[in-house]
Amino acid sequence: MEAMLKTEKILHIRSSRGKTVRVVREHYVRDSVPCYSILCPGSCQNDGKCLSGDVTHYLVPDWKVVQDFQEILEFVDLKGVIFMQTACQAVQHQKGRRQYRRLQGLLKDAHHDCILFSNEFQRESYFPREKGESFEKWQTRCIYYATVWYFHHLNGTVPLVMISEDEETIKEYGSKTQGVFLTSVKDYLDSFWPHLNTAHDLYDSITQSLREKGSESREKEYPEHLPLSVLETGIKSGRYIQGTLNVNKHRAQLEAYVRVQGSTDKNTELNSDILVFGWKPRNRGIHGDVVAVELLPRTEWRGRVIALSENETENGEEPQSQPVPTGRIVGIIQKNWQDYVATFPPKEEIQSQVSNSKKVLVTPWDYRIPKIRISTQQAETLQDQRVIVRIDSWEASSLYPSGHFVRVLGRAGDLETELAAILVENNIQVLPFSEAQMREMPACNPETPWTVDPCEELRRMDLRNTHLVYSIDPKGCEDVDDTLSVRLLNNGNLELGVHIADVTHFVKMNSLTDLEAQARATTYYLADRRFDMLPAVLSADLCSLLGGLDRYAVSVLWELEHSSYKVLHVWYGRTIIRSSYKLFYEAAQALLDGDWTVVEEIPELNSLPKDEREKKLEVLIWSLRSLMDVARHFRALRDQGGALELEGMELNVQLDQQKNIADLVPKQPLEVHETVAECMILANHWVAKKIWESFPHMSLLRQHPPPRKEFFTELIECAQAKGFHIDVSNNKALAKSLDQAVYPSDPVVNKILRFMATRAMSSAMYVSSAVCPQVQCYHYGLALDMYTHFTSPIRRYADILVHRLLIASLTMDKDRLLGGRELHKLAEHLNDRNKAAQRAQKQSVELFQCLYFRDKDPLVDERCVADAVIYSIRENGVLAFVPRYGIKGAVFLKNQEGLVVSVSPDGSCTWMPGTLQRFPDRIRSACATGSTVFSLFEHITVKILTQPSRSHADRIRMEILKNKPHMSQHQFQDGECSQSAKMDFVKEVIQSAAAVQNTDKVTMADPTQRNDDYCQSGPDSLYCLLEHIRELALLDVNGMTKDPSLQPAVHGT
Amino acid sequence: MAGIELLSDQGYRVDGRKPNELRKIQARMGVFSQADGSAYIEQGNTKALAVVYGPHEIRGSRSKSQHDRAIINCQYSMATFSTGERKRRPHGDRKSSEMTLHLKQTFEAAILTQLYPRSQIDIYVQILQADGGNYSACVNAATLAVVDAGIPLRDYVCACSAGFVEDTPLVDLSHLEESAGGTQLSLAVLPKAEHLALIEMDSRLHQDHLESMMDAATQACKDLYAVLDRVVRDHLQEVTTSIGE
Repeated sequence: MEAMLKTEKILHIRSSRGKTVRVVREHYVRDSVPCYSILCPGSCQNDGKCLSGDVTHYLVPDWKVVQDFQEILEFVDLKGVIFMQTACQAVQHQKGRRQYRRLQGLLKDAHHDCILFSNEFQRESYFPREKGESFEKWQTRCIYYATVWYFHHLNGTVPLVMISEDEETIKEYGSKTQGVFLTSVKDYLDSFWPHLNTAHDLYDSITQSLREKGSESREKEYPEHLPLSVLETGIKSGRYIQGTLNVNKHRAQLEAYVRVQGSTDKNTELNSDILVFGWKPRNRGIHGDVVAVELLPRTEWRGRVIALSENETENGEEPQSQPVPTGRIVGIIQKNWQDYVATFPPKEEIQSQVSNSKKVLVTPWDYRIPKIRISTQQAETLQDQRVIVRIDSWEASSLYPSGHFVRVLGRAGDLETELAAILVENNIQVLPFSEAQMREMPACNPETPWTVDPCEELRRMDLRNTHLVYSIDPKGCEDVDDTLSVRLLNNGNLELGVHIADVTHFVKMNSLTDLEAQARATTYYLADRRFDMLPAVLSADLCSLLGGLDRYAVSVLWELEHSSYKVLHVWYGRTIIRSSYKLFYEAAQALLDGDWTVVEEIPELNSLPKDEREKKLEVLIWSLRSLMDVARHFRALRDQGGALELEGMELNVQLDQQKNIADLVPKQPLEVHETVAECMILANHWVAKKIWESFPHMSLLRQHPPPRKEFFTELIECAQAKGFHIDVSNNKALAKSLDQAVYPSDPVVNKILRFMATRAMSSAMYVSSAVCPQVQCYHYGLALDMYTHFTSPIRRYADILVHRLLIASLTMDKDRLLGGRELHKLAEHLNDRNKAAQRAQKQSVELFQCLYFRDKDPLVDERCVADAVIYSIRENGVLAFVPRYGIKGAVFLKNQEGLVVSVSPDGSCTWMPGTLQRFPDRIRSACATGSTVFSLFEHITVKILTQPSRSHADRIRMEILKNKPHMSQHQFQDGECSQSAKMDFVKEVIQSAAAVQNTDKVTMADPTQRNDDYCQSGPDSLYCLLEHIRELALLDVNGMTKDPSLQPAVHGT
Repeated sequence: MAGIELLSDQGYRVDGRKPNELRKIQARMGVFSQADGSAYIEQGNTKALAVVYGPHEIRGSRSKSQHDRAIINCQYSMATFSTGERKRRPHGDRKSSEMTLHLKQTFEAAILTQLYPRSQIDIYVQILQADGGNYSACVNAATLAVVDAGIPLRDYVCACSAGFVEDTPLVDLSHLEESAGGTQLSLAVLPKAEHLALIEMDSRLHQDHLESMMDAATQACKDLYAVLDRVVRDHLQEVTTSIGE
């Protein structure tokens, strides 16, 4: 045991009863505290992240600097930053949990060259506080002497710079030690980083907002928040209710809801969310905050507004629904302040604002966030830019929160800027992989190709010579993470095998790559690009199960009874495989259909002499056939259990493509797609069972809870309009009644019903089995008692975790696994990131749609006119779905001047004075010339145009043209045509963006170059894509319910 | 309690120790000459005094006497000045009765009581300063006192507490760590044979973690044994030289 010296710290602490108590705490100091610098000449045990040696100096911020200027220290350009323990503690104790967590995140982040030095535990750098010395002075002294110690520890090889904002400190210590320099933040930035403009701007904006904090006016705009202790007791006693604040996107100024946490069954009065109406009762709550609300007396309850709204209008006479519980916020328990993308107001407005102060109100991109007041002199230069803004505080005396400006994203309206804005808003950070991470990757280049390690060969089951392994993917796919095999065993039984790339072999737990992948949690897909979770060397090469190459895999092998396909035995384990064929879907399907001409397209077979080729082909076809038989069998089993056909490919292609990359979706769904998918579901299911049996309290499962019946009301009512009955008692009944609800003349009806069913579902999510009882692990959509994600470790972190669990369950070595609580936290993180990924993807597609329609003239361009189907009725309009573009949106039947739509005999529409009358399944507009009825599932013709917005994302708007179906030379059911239309979005927009860039003499990186920049791999496998689509169909419920302009009217009552 | 980070990312506890490190231990034997055996121990800022009388005839009612072994009589008390706020601590309150009982059980398991039928051994322990791990300080002090009294023991009894924070077991908890509200395990071990004399745990712990916590506490007890053994040997050395003179 190493030598430690015991000292004592005497503290005076206020006890819970208000008395001051003298407390003596021990404090142990030691000689060997690791310094975490590569330059360390001694024998420090520096494992983990270390400071690099190739810097001109190391930087030590004073505690006050860390507290106030942490954001400047977060710049990646600042290298060699040493955070002293004393400073970190100052942040923890005086600045609160949020900032402390940011600091911890910074210290763990592999991109940032910074470390924490535990100076108070090092014997020579620890100084007890002297009598009469103020706490602040002592902290500064500690940090200074720790800096000096650090300098001497490195034998003076690197000068150290300590930055402080306190002039006295600089004067006192400035010239005490040679080699240790003291300077102010401003001087430091000026002399070391004169060109880092963003840092200078940030410094100015922070100092300004700090200065202003002191000089706030005292008049109160809002009631003060109650202290936390009062809130806690109030919540316990039931006086206040705790929940998450959700601002209505379409009425951000007025309506917000508090979603009550946990079960509200005991409180029958509160079976819906609590409405917070107006900005005063909202009391400085920001979307996403955890707040405490107090219910208002019943007489003050209000209903929610049910008319479609185009913009915020504040005439209080809008129709309202039944009054719902209404409350006011009395305190905020947890703030959810993030980085917000915002835009400066136009010039005229700035000038009027400048007159009274130097502050500017910027409008956040997200409608739900209030305007933020920032102080800056650059308002005019940043006119048309989108910037990132952070909220600092929101005093009761100020109408708007005050914040500061962090950095510029780019010019508003540019493709790159808008995409960056989407990433920031969803809190997605995708920096290129750092050098340290790339160093962890195994060497693999043309000169020294990667080979199988002989040791691994002994440890793994070798399937290279015994099994015919092949992959089925879309044409030209590079990253293959799943392969299949079928063979006949000697006893006549079949053996089915699923072999998944062994990513965990390359990504060791807690390595930098692992931590990065964990932070990303998934590969992010935007409409035109993607950001990989793992470096390309893994995702496109070593972990890709390419044909003819030896690869490590994790396999699941089932022994199936030869005729009934009953599972007799399952084997799990690590293997070495060599995939024989890299098939593509069309070829596999053609072989199954007996069409042998595709052989020419399979390079592995084409090169062989004819007779050998035929022999091999026969074996392959037998294998494919058996595979399909087995898959059919298991699919039928699941259907009996009540699996939902929501993931039906057709549906997703038609409905969800506004969230998906359209140009990879196949023209015709082939059966072989389903075969592969079924095998993957089977593998996931069995792996879930295995890990749950081994670690009932530490497994990561995927849960899809049954939906709440009341959400189906809208679906049932809609279906009734067409005379169908939907039985929602369980998943089997639902699947059956959806299958029957087919309207012969209009296939869109069934699609819309399925889409509404999907919308009513709760989302599937990852759970830790420790917090979830077994019965709740049921997967409603797939009708399986247990499910997890195992088959795509290249693009989902959950699969990596499951791989580790599976391997651990085989060796029964559970030391290195995550504990239940940690896993639960991680599962929440994964769910959160998945949602963010979906949101980002959806927003990016919407962005492309907007850019696409922005350049078209709706009067001339025939592409802006399309056929739409009404799927929901509202007070002053309808919600419609455009199958051709996959756009959903509101169509107003009453405009802002109060005129309603009138239909002339030929079907064209004009605006006339009149009234609207709403029924559950139709809406009637009556005016002088007669009345027209619009009912559910009716086809209308709409004009699509982009509604530009200065500070928010542009939106698609639809206007009614005719109440007849739109006739065009394109038949919208024609898959090929609509496919190409969808592709047009992405292609055209990219081209026009490139054209703009070119005129500015800036060459835009072509996509492959960008892939290289971000170390990304090529296109994704189709199975992954489909899997992704299916998840979206099941998952994006929250996103979708928010999507139409309003919550369904039936929802709240 | 929110706010206190019991274990930092660098692996240090609040007071600068690593998870498996004990607090500083100082001990003396034979502090009183009138008693048959006595010892004083400091574990960090927890200070305890133990005094042993006996074996002697049974005092009080004879009915308690056992024909085949000695009975152990323990008494635990805390000094009024042992905590931050001065507080009168009457004998026989719930907490100290429980502690008394635990001590008694521990030493019944460790002392070779069958050697002294129909007699009694008294162990009195007082906490002079409390800073976490009171039970273990008492057991360790009493062990030294029993050794000082020359009463035969199966083995030293070494006690240590352990907690569980962020999936890491912490040994020898201080008052601050105890009051953070996590699980606490007290373990008394006969280190040579690794027999457990007493194990006690309050609040819940997942069964998967129990083993690692037990392992950590056992190892800590063994470390403690090394220290206690050193103290006993030094004391013997001292005594023999003084007799030799």
